Amino acid sequence: MSGGPGLRTLAELRVLLFWRRLRGRGRTAELVAMAALFLMAIPLGLLFAGFLGSASYRAVRAGAGLAVDLAAAALFFGVWQAWTAVGLALSEGDAFDLRRALAYPVPPGRMYLLGLLTGIAGDPFAAFWLLLLGGAFTGAAVGRFGPWLLPLLALFMAFAAATVTLVALGRELLARMARGRWFREAAVLAGVAGWGLLLWATRYPVRDWLPVARKVQWVLFPPALAAAAGRHLYGGRVLAALPYIAALLAAAVLCGWAAYRVALRTALSGGEEGRARAGAGGGWLARWLSARLGPLAEKELHYLARHPAIRVSALVVPAVAGLLAWKVLPQVPEEAGEVVRALPLFGVAAYVHLVLQVFWLNAFGWDGGGARALFLAPVAPGAVLAAKNGASMLAAALLFLLAGTVYVSAGVVPPAWALVAAAALHLGMAPWLHAAGNLISISNPRAAPFALQRNGSLPALSALAGMAITAGATGLFGVPVLAALHFESEWLLLGAWVALGAAGWLAWRWSLPRAGTLLQNRREALLAEVTGEVT
Amino acid sequence: MLAIETEGLTRHFDGKPAVERLDLRVPEGAFYGFLGPNGAGKSTTMKMLTGLLAPTAGRARILGHDLAADPVAVKRLIGSVPDGLALFERLTGAEQLRIQGQLYGLDRATAARRAGELLERLDLASAAGDTVADYSHGMKKRLALGCALIHGPQLLFLDEPFEGIDALAVGGIRQLLQELVASRALTVFLTSHVLEVVERLVSHVGIIHRGRLVLDGTLAEVRASGSLEETFLRAVGEERAAPAALSWLPGRTA
Repeated sequence: MSGGPGLRTLAELRVLLFWRRLRGRGRTAELVAMAALFLMAIPLGLLFAGFLGSASYRAVRAGAGLAVDLAAAALFFGVWQAWTAVGLALSEGDAFDLRRALAYPVPPGRMYLLGLLTGIAGDPFAAFWLLLLGGAFTGAAVGRFGPWLLPLLALFMAFAAATVTLVALGRELLARMARGRWFREAAVLAGVAGWGLLLWATRYPVRDWLPVARKVQWVLFPPALAAAAGRHLYGGRVLAALPYIAALLAAAVLCGWAAYRVALRTALSGGEEGRARAGAGGGWLARWLSARLGPLAEKELHYLARHPAIRVSALVVPAVAGLLAWKVLPQVPEEAGEVVRALPLFGVAAYVHLVLQVFWLNAFGWDGGGARALFLAPVAPGAVLAAKNGASMLAAALLFLLAGTVYVSAGVVPPAWALVAAAALHLGMAPWLHAAGNLISISNPRAAPFALQRNGSLPALSALAGMAITAGATGLFGVPVLAALHFESEWLLLGAWVALGAAGWLAWRWSLPRAGTLLQNRREALLAEVTGEVT
Repeated sequence: MLAIETEGLTRHFDGKPAVERLDLRVPEGAFYGFLGPNGAGKSTTMKMLTGLLAPTAGRARILGHDLAADPVAVKRLIGSVPDGLALFERLTGAEQLRIQGQLYGLDRATAARRAGELLERLDLASAAGDTVADYSHGMKKRLALGCALIHGPQLLFLDEPFEGIDALAVGGIRQLLQELVASRALTVFLTSHVLEVVERLVSHVGIIHRGRLVLDGTLAEVRASGSLEETFLRAVGEERAAPAALSWLPGRTA
C-alpha cells in the first residue's frame, strides 16, 4: 500500500476525533469558551503584531545601520525565545505519539510530519507567533513593496519551520531525559541562570558586550541565521540573504529529521523512556507534614510534591520575584509612597495563586482511577475537598515564602507592615479562590497528564472561569489598595486584607459541606471524566 | 443474615435500562459469583452496591445497613476492587496500602504494619517503594486486592479480578480468596467472565442478562442440569444465525 491514502485516512481520523471531542456531550460550553479565549488572544496578538510591523516598516525605510540591526535581532530573537520557551513548557498543542503510528502501513516519518503540522494547527500559541510574523511581514510590505517580499516570505517560513522542528527536537530529548530525576529542574535552573546572566550583562555599556553576543549568537542558530538574512533583505541585498535562508531551511530539515529519529527510537523502545517518572520520595517536608495531616492530605501532598509543575514553579517564581525586586523596584521612586513601592511584592503574593491555578481549578484531574477510592472510602466528600484545598494552599504558601525570601534578598527590604500585608493578601485570597475553584473542579473536571505542559490539564471553560475568579478576587483585594492610596494609610490596607481574609476563611468553611454535597451528587460524571470511563 | 439484599434495584442510562428491578440475596459467608455476558449489568450492579452509582429506583441493604440512608457505615464494612481499579498511580505501593488503611480508620502504625504483611503475601514486597504507575497490570490487580483487604472488610466486592492477569497471579489470588472464605472471614461478591475459575471458587451463582437476574442459587443447584458453562449459555444464550462468510477472506484449500 502506498503511504498517501493511508496518510490521508489518518489525517481525516485526527480531524474527526478532534471534532468529536469538541462536539461531544456537554462540550458546547467548552467550544464557546475556547472561542472566547481565542477572541481574547487576538487583540493582544494584533497589538504585538502592530509593534513588530511598525519596527519592520522603520527598518525597511532605514535600509541600513543600527536601526536595521536592532529591528532584525529584536524581531527574530524575541519571537524565537518566546516561542521556544512556551513550546517547551506551556504548549497547548495536541501531543502526538508516534507509537500509535507504528501499527499502520504508513511510513512513520510522514506520520511524524503530519503530527508536527496538525500540532501547530491545533495550538493557539503557534497561531499567535505566526500572527506576529505576519505583522512584521505586513510592515515590511508597506515599507517597500516589491519582489524582494518573496524571499522575505521564504525567510519567515524557514524561520518558523526551524523553530518548530527545534522545539520538537527539544521536546523529544526532554521527554527522554525526564526519566532521570531532576533533569528537567536542572534544565529550568540553567535557563533561569542564563536569563540572570543576560540581565547582569545589561549593567555594562552595549559596546562592551555586543561583540561577545555577536560571536555566541550562532549557538541560537534559528534567530541568528534569520536575523542575518533579515538584515540583508531589509537593506535590499537579496542575493546576500539567500545563503542564510538556505542554511536556515537545511537546519530545519536536519532538526526535524533528528527529532523524528529520537521519537522513533523512543517509540520502538516501547515509549517507556518518554514517560516522566515520579520520584519515589515526596521530599522530607512532605513526609513530615503528611504524617501529621491525615491520609487524605498526605496523598495530596505526595502528589503535589511529585508534580513537575510544582518543582518548576519553585524555580521560576522565585526567579521572577527576584527580577522584580532587582530590576523593577529601583524604578519606583521613593516619593511614590510605601504602598506603591510594595505593589511588586503584593503582585508576587497574588501571582503564586495564578501559577498554581490548575490545582484549584481541576483538583481531581490527576487522580485517575484513584478518584474511585475517594468515593469508596468512608470519608465525607467535604473532607476530600478540604484535604485537596489544604494541600494546594500549603504548596502556594511555601512557594510564596520562597519567592518572598528571594524578593527580599534581591532588593531593598520592604517595611514590616508590607511583609505582613503581603502574607495577609496571599493567605486571604487563598480561601476565596479555592471555594470558587471547588465548584469548577467538580462541575468541569478533566483527566490531566502528570506533566509540566498545560495541554489537557485545564479545559477552556475552566480556564475562562479561572480568569473570572482571579479577576474577581484581585478586584476585591484591590479596592483596599485604592483606599489606602487615597487616605495615605498603609494600616488601612493591612486591616482590610486581614478582614477580607477572615471573611474568606469563613466563606470557605461554610462552602465545604455544600461543595461536598455537590461532589457526591456529581460523582458519576466526575468519575467518568477523570477515570476516562464511560458509564 | 444476608450480606447483600436488593429490592427492585434499577439503573437507567439516558433512559435505557442497564439494570432492571434486580432482587438479589447473598447470604453472609457466601462466595457469590455474579455472571453475565458483556454489557449485562454486572459492573453497574457492583457500582450501585458500593456507592459509586446512584440507583434510578429500588433499594439495597448491605450487611444490615440501608445503603442510601447510611452509606458511610456501609463503606466501613466493605472492600472493593472496582473495574479499572482505584489506585493512585503516583503513590508507591506501600504508601497506597497504608493511606488506604488510614482512610478506613486504621491508625498509621497499624496501617503500615498491615501494608507490610499484605505486600509480602501478595508478592509485591520488592516493589513496595516503586510508584504504582510503574507496576504491571497484574501487580496493580494484586495491590488493589490488598487495598480492599487492609481494613478487614466483612464483604468484598471484586469486579473481574482475573481479567488481564497471568495464570500464576490468578492462582495466587484464588488461593488467598479461598482461604478467606474458608475461614469465614468474609463474604465475597465477584464478577467474572472466566467460568472455569468461578466454578472452582464460588458457593453461590447469580446470572444477569440484559439487566435482569435470570438465574440464582447455590453452585450445586445451578449445576444440577449440566456444567456451569452449559447452564450459563442456556440462561443467556439466544438462537443466532450462523455468521456469513467474509467475502474477501476466502477459505484456502490445502
